[in-house]
Amino acid sequence: MSLLIKEVSQIYDTATAVDDISVEIQDGEFIAILGPSGCGKTTLLRIIAGFIHATRGTVLSGDEVFTRNKFHMPVNARDLSMVFQSFALWPHMTVREHIEYPLQSKRQSHLSADEKKAMVDEAIRSTGLEKLQTRLPGELSGGQKQRVSLARAIVSKPKLLLMDEPLSALDAELKISMRKEIKDIHTMTKSTIIYVTHDQSEALSMADRIIIMKDGKIEQMGTPKEIYEQPQTIFAATFVSKCNLVKGTYNGDDFTAYDGVTKYDGAGLPVCFKEANVYPVRPEDFTMNNTKDGIVGVITNKQYNGREIHYKVECDSDFFTVYSDVLADFAIGDTIYLKKETK
Amino acid sequence: MPLARLLYMSFQVGDQLGFDNYITLFQQERTILAIKNTLQISVLSTLFATIFGASIAYIVAYTDVQYKKLIEVLTICPTVIPSYIITLSWSTVFSRKGSLNAYITSKGLEALNVYSMWGIVLALSICGIPIVYLMTINTLRKIPRDLEFASLTSGYSVANTMFKINLKQAIPSIIGGGILAFLGSIDNFSVPAFLGTSAGIPVLSTYIYEKVIGFGPSSFNLAAALSVMLSVIALSGTVLQTKFVRKSSAMESVKEDYSVRIYLGPFRWFVQTLVLGILLLVNVAPLVTMLMSSVQDGYGDTFFDNFTLSNYEYVFTNAGVRTSVINSLTLAISACIICIIVGTAVAYMKVRHDGKTIRFIEQGIAFTYAVPGIVVALSMIFHWALIPNIYGTSRILLIAYVTRYLILQVKGSVVAVSSVEESLEEASMVCGMNKLKMWIRILIPLLTKQVLASSFLIFIGAMTELSLSSILAAAGSKTIGLTIFALQQGGAYNSSIALSSVMVLSILAAYIVSHLVNRQRSRK
Repeated sequence: MSLLIKEVSQIYDTATAVDDISVEIQDGEFIAILGPSGCGKTTLLRIIAGFIHATRGTVLSGDEVFTRNKFHMPVNARDLSMVFQSFALWPHMTVREHIEYPLQSKRQSHLSADEKKAMVDEAIRSTGLEKLQTRLPGELSGGQKQRVSLARAIVSKPKLLLMDEPLSALDAELKISMRKEIKDIHTMTKSTIIYVTHDQSEALSMADRIIIMKDGKIEQMGTPKEIYEQPQTIFAATFVSKCNLVKGTYNGDDFTAYDGVTKYDGAGLPVCFKEANVYPVRPEDFTMNNTKDGIVGVITNKQYNGREIHYKVECDSDFFTVYSDVLADFAIGDTIYLKKETK
Repeated sequence: MPLARLLYMSFQVGDQLGFDNYITLFQQERTILAIKNTLQISVLSTLFATIFGASIAYIVAYTDVQYKKLIEVLTICPTVIPSYIITLSWSTVFSRKGSLNAYITSKGLEALNVYSMWGIVLALSICGIPIVYLMTINTLRKIPRDLEFASLTSGYSVANTMFKINLKQAIPSIIGGGILAFLGSIDNFSVPAFLGTSAGIPVLSTYIYEKVIGFGPSSFNLAAALSVMLSVIALSGTVLQTKFVRKSSAMESVKEDYSVRIYLGPFRWFVQTLVLGILLLVNVAPLVTMLMSSVQDGYGDTFFDNFTLSNYEYVFTNAGVRTSVINSLTLAISACIICIIVGTAVAYMKVRHDGKTIRFIEQGIAFTYAVPGIVVALSMIFHWALIPNIYGTSRILLIAYVTRYLILQVKGSVVAVSSVEESLEEASMVCGMNKLKMWIRILIPLLTKQVLASSFLIFIGAMTELSLSSILAAAGSKTIGLTIFALQQGGAYNSSIALSSVMVLSILAAYIVSHLVNRQRSRK
């Protein structure tokens, strides 16, 4: 039992939104599809949901065919549910009515009234909505709305739970606390979750596996640790771990930066960096000193963030981002030297 | 003020006040009949208008039918063509000697008579469809697709979702539109006047007219009492309607979604042909028939045998017709100018310095639009008859038009003014301009387009007006609508349809011109 996506393409008149994507997702996995806007991640999600009929390809859920050739199973026949960025609450229904709604469909007609009531109560309890059951959506805050949306999605215990940027309409603090709630729900329901987002920290903190998409194609697939520490493409390096790309030349595995002096060890780096003659350095891997050790540069911007300070450093013609601890305090305009720490 | 006097008059018996007028009225069988007819006709036509208007709106908003623009234009064209012309055109279709009835009688069936209850219902339904359509379509488009998707993923089919989610969301608007159509029906004077008078079917609005024209000893008071009854129905409808609109106003800020939600597949062709067919049959065919018979004379066999322009010759040479055209033009233009100045001023004050006074003024202005036209006309007589040199001249008509249509301008101007940010004005002041210069240099150029759009509506409305002028016009101040009415009632049927044809063509031309001008402007 797994979700199999095979050679799926979505081709529009002028553009290819999803380009020959194949993925196998295991039962109970939490998958994040991460990418910038327009990369085709939402299109892929909607193909799985059945709102969009893919031009080509196959989607199988276990032994059930969702999409194959010209066949598309109707959305309402698929055993899945979805959480929307806009919450998609119906203005005329109360919180409890929302959560009862999926169970009143034909798909759930095999359940008895008592079972349904128990399921609704459980969904309400697990999302902490007990006191809001009779409210209408207009009387709820953003976080409460998203909880209703979540409760509605999990009440029927679907095998597959799709989430389309569910946190992007919430404010910063709420985002962090909702991450935990979604994780808890995943542990509790054991559903397969496919979570679309453009926020790399959301993907890194919640997912079992991350799929990075760009221009309709998969750039890299792997666990958060793999994605962060071993980016396989330049895009993955800059998009997820915000790597600085230091220009220079390779001699085998030995990298010499553009200043001709600084040398890094390029062993194990994917070939794409060598072909592009750049070396990826994460912002927290640079340290600054004024002892002429490393690449020379001038600080052009400084943002104090409490636990760390974010610097913008102009080196030659490039701007590098450096996260440094608050102990090393430099001022804008200072000439400093950047040294790469090796772990 | 004039309306207050009307209320007073309705209770006036000789020198005292009392309910005698109402009692007298309810003792007359005709009153009961008129109320019964009014309600029956209005309810039926509202029902038809709601069903058709909402269905067409649904099809245009959600499905993948082609020619949506054409469907929309055809649906709303009855709003710009005066209802008496629609009525006239239908009576041409169903004229006793017309080909349709000739066909029906040849089948051994009884000829259809448009001068009847169902004829009035039909004409009023046609007038009501665009109202419901316009009220519904935006709401339907504004229902976010995510709401449907959420229901689909909950395991409901498309049809079930439409019923359980979309319809529930749209119902306040549909009912609101229905109430407006209902108000339009009880307010309408021309349709029952054209069709009901000869068939002896009184409704409240024509009954009031009868009473006023009758000049009995207490006829004015009786008419006033009737008007109060009609107004009560109309106003309670308005109150109900605003309640429904407020319910659906939560979605005002949502963007409209024009994407196709339902693919009809093989049925698309069928549905679009059906909709277009019905619309062409209902809204265009009668007008074409009217245009064609306006150039006919006698009862010959073919179209060209009987081709004649003599009907038009009469229309273009008759002095009475010419005066009425000039009257209507002058009245419409003057009403527009007054409305633009007063309406925009009120709108500006409302947007910039919203206060109790201005809200009271606005409500007063809106009130005269909610009350049926015939009632406004009547109260005008009572009020202005006391002031010399107004009643019996075209001045009273001008005052009546302005009173009636001012709210349209206020609403249009409010939209226009609120689209101009206050900071633009402040910026001008900071640059050292005084108020007057600020208006000339900044506000007027920015407002013109929006403001003119609503005064165009007023112009068309005033040009084709009938219910106010039927009561207020005197010998020298006849309007176009009244002339057509008089021609039709007087038996000069061919001339009346010829004049109507000219009107339809002029309205059409005016729309095409304004459309072209708009397109040219937006291209800049």
